[in-house]
Amino acid sequence: MAELLFIAVALLLGLSALAGALGVSLLGGKFLEGAARQPELVPLLRSQFFIVVGLVDAIPMIGVGMALYMLFAG
Amino acid sequence: MLEKPEESGLNLAGVRSRVQGSQGKVVAQAFAKVLLIQVFITSALSLALIFKDFVAAYSAFIGGMLYLIPTAYFTLKVQFKNNAHTAKEILANVYMSQFGKMVLAIALFSLTFMMVEPLNPLSLFVTFILMQISGWYLQFKLNNRFLKR
Repeated sequence: MAELLFIAVALLLGLSALAGALGVSLLGGKFLEGAARQPELVPLLRSQFFIVVGLVDAIPMIGVGMALYMLFAG
Repeated sequence: MLEKPEESGLNLAGVRSRVQGSQGKVVAQAFAKVLLIQVFITSALSLALIFKDFVAAYSAFIGGMLYLIPTAYFTLKVQFKNNAHTAKEILANVYMSQFGKMVLAIALFSLTFMMVEPLNPLSLFVTFILMQISGWYLQFKLNNRFLKR
């Protein structure tokens, strides 16, 4: 049973990390693309980039929290 | 002798960013407003629960803080202590701040589950998820410029 718990925690943490990394890297790529295409819009893109980065990691954070709870409480 | 783009305040293509200051100020104010509203929601939820169940009340407060402390760190690093001008610098700054936020969140979650006893996990996670959802909603509502473009 303990092995299954560790596998579940590893999956939760791993998938959370993967999702967060994918989201933020896609966003960063689009930001660079936009900045290269229209450099005069960098300040605007920068502000919107900050906002969306803050939103992207919400689900991964919940996943990390659940995984740590399972690890420590289990 | 030509000065470096970073020193002269020029961005990636050498265009002076005149609107950067005002734009940054507006977003910083929106971030601060969102954080204040979330602190208020956490406190109100904890106070409401304190009369019903003390453990649930402090678990709800901890859940709110587990969201607010890493988010405040990220906002501070990205919005207020940020001297990045070029796109490359901005990207590096956001990635490092995001990494710091995740590490802080993991450390705080681990500390909570190891040191706080007894704990009401339902109350903690409900508050934590509520904070995430309120963060989405408030950002979209307060940054109406974000929706229009």
